[in-house]
Amino acid sequence: MASVAVQTPVKSHSGLFTTRTAGGRMPLTPSPRARQAGNRNNNKKKEEDQESKAVKNNGSVYGGGNLAVHFAALQISPAGKKRSTSPKSTIARISPIKLDLGVSEWTLTGSGSSKGTGRTPEKQKKKKEPALQSKAPRRAKATIRVIGDRFIPTRSASSPTATSKLDFANVQKGGPQPREGRSRPSSSHSTHSVLAGGAFGTDSLSNPYGTEDDEEVVYPPPNPENLAYQSSVAAACGVKLNTRILAFKPSAPENQKPIDLRSQYNRPVKPVNQAQFRRRILTAPERVLDAPGLVDDYYLNLLDWSSQNCVAIGLERNVYVWNADTGTVTSLLETSPDTYVSSVKWSQDGAYVSVGLGTGDVQIWDVEEGTKLRTMAGHTSRVGVASWNKAFLSTGSRSGAIFNHDVRIAEHKVAELNSHTSEVCGLEWRSDGALLASGGNDNMVNIWDARSLTAPKWQKTNHKAAVKAIAWCPWQMNLLATGGGSYDKHIHFWNSTTGARVNSVDTGSQVTSLRWSLTYKEIVSCHGFPDNQLSVWSYPTLVRHIEIPAHETRVLHSCLSPDGQVLATAASDESLKFWKLFEKKKETASGATSLRDGGKVPMAKQMTIR
Amino acid sequence: MSSTTIKPKPPKSSKDAKSSKGSKSSSTSKTPTSDDPKQTHKLSLKGSAKMVSEFFDYGINTILFQRGVYPAEDFTYVKKYGLNMLISSDDQVKSYIRRITTQLTRWMLAGKIKKLVVVVTSKDTGEDVERWQFDVSHTKPPTASTSQGAQEKEKGEAEVQAEIQSLFRQITACVTFLPMLDGRCTFNVLVYADGDAEVPMEWGDSEAREINGGEKVVLRSWGTSSHRVETAVSYRVVE
Repeated sequence: MASVAVQTPVKSHSGLFTTRTAGGRMPLTPSPRARQAGNRNNNKKKEEDQESKAVKNNGSVYGGGNLAVHFAALQISPAGKKRSTSPKSTIARISPIKLDLGVSEWTLTGSGSSKGTGRTPEKQKKKKEPALQSKAPRRAKATIRVIGDRFIPTRSASSPTATSKLDFANVQKGGPQPREGRSRPSSSHSTHSVLAGGAFGTDSLSNPYGTEDDEEVVYPPPNPENLAYQSSVAAACGVKLNTRILAFKPSAPENQKPIDLRSQYNRPVKPVNQAQFRRRILTAPERVLDAPGLVDDYYLNLLDWSSQNCVAIGLERNVYVWNADTGTVTSLLETSPDTYVSSVKWSQDGAYVSVGLGTGDVQIWDVEEGTKLRTMAGHTSRVGVASWNKAFLSTGSRSGAIFNHDVRIAEHKVAELNSHTSEVCGLEWRSDGALLASGGNDNMVNIWDARSLTAPKWQKTNHKAAVKAIAWCPWQMNLLATGGGSYDKHIHFWNSTTGARVNSVDTGSQVTSLRWSLTYKEIVSCHGFPDNQLSVWSYPTLVRHIEIPAHETRVLHSCLSPDGQVLATAASDESLKFWKLFEKKKETASGATSLRDGGKVPMAKQMTIR
Repeated sequence: MSSTTIKPKPPKSSKDAKSSKGSKSSSTSKTPTSDDPKQTHKLSLKGSAKMVSEFFDYGINTILFQRGVYPAEDFTYVKKYGLNMLISSDDQVKSYIRRITTQLTRWMLAGKIKKLVVVVTSKDTGEDVERWQFDVSHTKPPTASTSQGAQEKEKGEAEVQAEIQSLFRQITACVTFLPMLDGRCTFNVLVYADGDAEVPMEWGDSEAREINGGEKVVLRSWGTSSHRVETAVSYRVVE
C-alpha cells in the first residue's frame, strides 16, 4: 500500500511541473505549438486525473510541498529520464490511455474502499502496475522539458540553418519523418518497458525501477534524441528552412525497345491524318458466282483472268470460262475421270489457256474454238502452277521441277530448272520476260535469270512456310513481293537486282496470293485462317488501308481484271467473288470504260515498255 | 495525420467545380464584398495548384518523349495547351506517372512543394545525365483590400495557357542543343518538399543529384496569380 502512495504523487507533480513551464519558468521553449501539445497531453492527463482522483489525493498534498525538491527528484528520477525519450505519437498515446482507463475503473471502484480494506496481493499488484503505466506518459511530458533545459544552450547557439542541417542529417540517416521517426521506436520502447515492468513487477515493485536504474547509468542522451529535439524545436518555431528532398522510390518501368532518337526527331509534329489521304475502297463484293467443286488445295492455281476479259476457273475435272463482258459461261473442257485440273493459266494475248493436270500433263486449249491444241508431257507429278512468257510456258510440278516449254515446237521442253526440293506452288514471269520467280513448299523463293537457267540467280530462304503468293511490281521492275504460308504469315519484298530484302510485313495470317495494283501504289494480299480476308497495303509505307473479310474459308486464288480495277477471289467455300478494290477516279473512269475493248492495247504496250 | 489535413477539402471541391468558371468572370463584374475577394482568391489558389500539378504531368511525359526515355511508339497525341502533347500510352509508365502526380497534387494543394526535379539517368553508367528542374514559388496572395491589384495580377486562362505553351515549345526545342543520350536511360522524380509535409511510404529521402560540372539553361517561366513555375535544365557537357 505504501508503495502505491509513493508513486501516485509523482504523477501529480508532473502536472504541477507543466503548469510551471507554462507559467514561464522555461523561457527558452517559446513555441506555442509545443505548449499546445503539452496542453493537449495535459488535458488528457486531466481526464485521467479526474478518473483516478482518489489515487492522487495523497499526491496533491505531497505536491503542495516544496516544488524544487520534486523537481530535483524528477530530474534524478530514472524512470522519468528514461521515458523522456518517448515523446507522444498517436500510437504511443493510444496504448497508455487504454491502460489508464483500465486502471481508472479499478481506482474509481476500489480507491475509496481499498484504503482500509485488506486486498488480496494479486489485486494490489494489478493496481500498481497500471499506476506505473499511467505515470509514464505524464512523467515523460514533464521530463521532456527537463531535458530540454539541458540542451537549451546548444539550441540557442545553433542557428536555424544548423537545426535544419541537423534535421536533414537525421533525415539522411534514413529515418522517416523526424517526429514520427522519433516517436515510433520510442513508443515501442516505452510500451515495452511498461510491459516489462508489468511482467517483472508482479513480485516486487522495485524491480522495474531497478532495471531502469541500470539504464540511467548511461544517462547522456543518445544522438537521435538530440536531433529529434532539435527538429521538434525547429518545427515548433515554424522554421521552414528544413526542406527535404524526396525521391519517388519505385524505379521507373523498363523500356524494352532500343530507341533511336535520331529517327524520332524527324517525326512530324502533327500526326499525318491518314484518313484524308486514304481513298475509299468498296468493301462489298461487286458480284458473287458459285464455284461448285473447287478443290480445296493451297498448292493449286485454278483461277485466271485473261487480257480478253475472260475468267477461267478449274473446278475439279472441268474448266469453265466466264466472259466478264457478257456474263456467259462456257465449259471449256472436262478431263478424263482419272485426273483433275491442277492449274489454269491464260496466255498473254488471252487466246489460249494452259491446263495443268494431276497426271503431270499440260494441255494448251484454244478458247475461241474450244479445242485442245496440244498436250505436253514431261512432268512426273501434278502440275500445280504455270506462267506464260510470250510463246514460252513455264510449269512447276509437285516434284519440285520447273520446265520451260516452247509451245511452238515439237520438242517443247527447252529448259529444266532444278532447285526446289518440294512442290512448286508459285511461279511468275516478270512482265519483260527477263526474270522468273518461283516459290515452293520447301519455303524457298528462287529468282531465275532467263539467260542462265542452270541455277537460280537468287535463292531466298527467309520464309518459314510454303511460298505460293508471288507478284512482280508493275511500276518498279526489280521489286518482287512474296508471301508465306500459315506458319510464316509474312510478306517479303525483294530487290531482284541486288537480291536484298527491302521490306517485310507480318500480316498475321497465311498469305495465299498477292496482287499489285496497276493504278495505285498498293498491293492486295489474300489470306486464310482466321479472317480469310483481303488486305490492301500501300507501298512502300506498308500501311494497311483496309481489311475486308472476304470469304467463309481461306481465299485460295485471286486474279486481277485486265483493267486492274477488279480483283476476283475464289475460296474453298465454293464461291467466286469480284471486288472493285482499285476503282479508278472519275476523270480516268471514262477512259477506263473504253479500256474494256480497246484499252488493253495501251496497257499491253505499257507492259512491254517496262 | 494525413486524413485530418485532407478531409476538410472535399466538401469545398464540389462547389469549386460549379463556381470556378463563374468566379473568374464574376470577379471582374461583381463589386467585391467583404468575403468575395477572399473566396475567389481561395478558389483560384486551388485551381492554380491543380494546374501546376497537371503541368507536371505533361512536363514529365514530354521530357520522357523528347529525351527518348521511352520509345516514340508508346506515346499518343493529346490536345492540350493548344499543342499536340505526347502522353505515354504504356500502361506501366502511365500508372507510374499517375502515382507520382496524385501525390504531387496532394502536396500542391497543401502548398508543400518547392521544386520538382526529373533526373534522367544513363542505365549503362548509372550516371545522372540530365536534370530538369521546375521551381514552384507561391506568389504572395494579394490582400483582400487591394482587389484592384488582384484583378490586374489575375491572368486569364488563355494567358496562362499561352505561357505554358511557349514553355513546352521551348522544352521541345531543347533537343537541338541537349547532347545525345546514348544508350538506354531511365528517370527519377525528386521533390523538394517542406519538412513538415506528409510523406507516403513510396517517397524516400534523396540527395539533390545535381549534375556536376554540367551546364544549366534557364527556360521560360510561367505562372498563375498564386503560383510561379520556373524551369531549368542542366545537362552533362560532352567533351
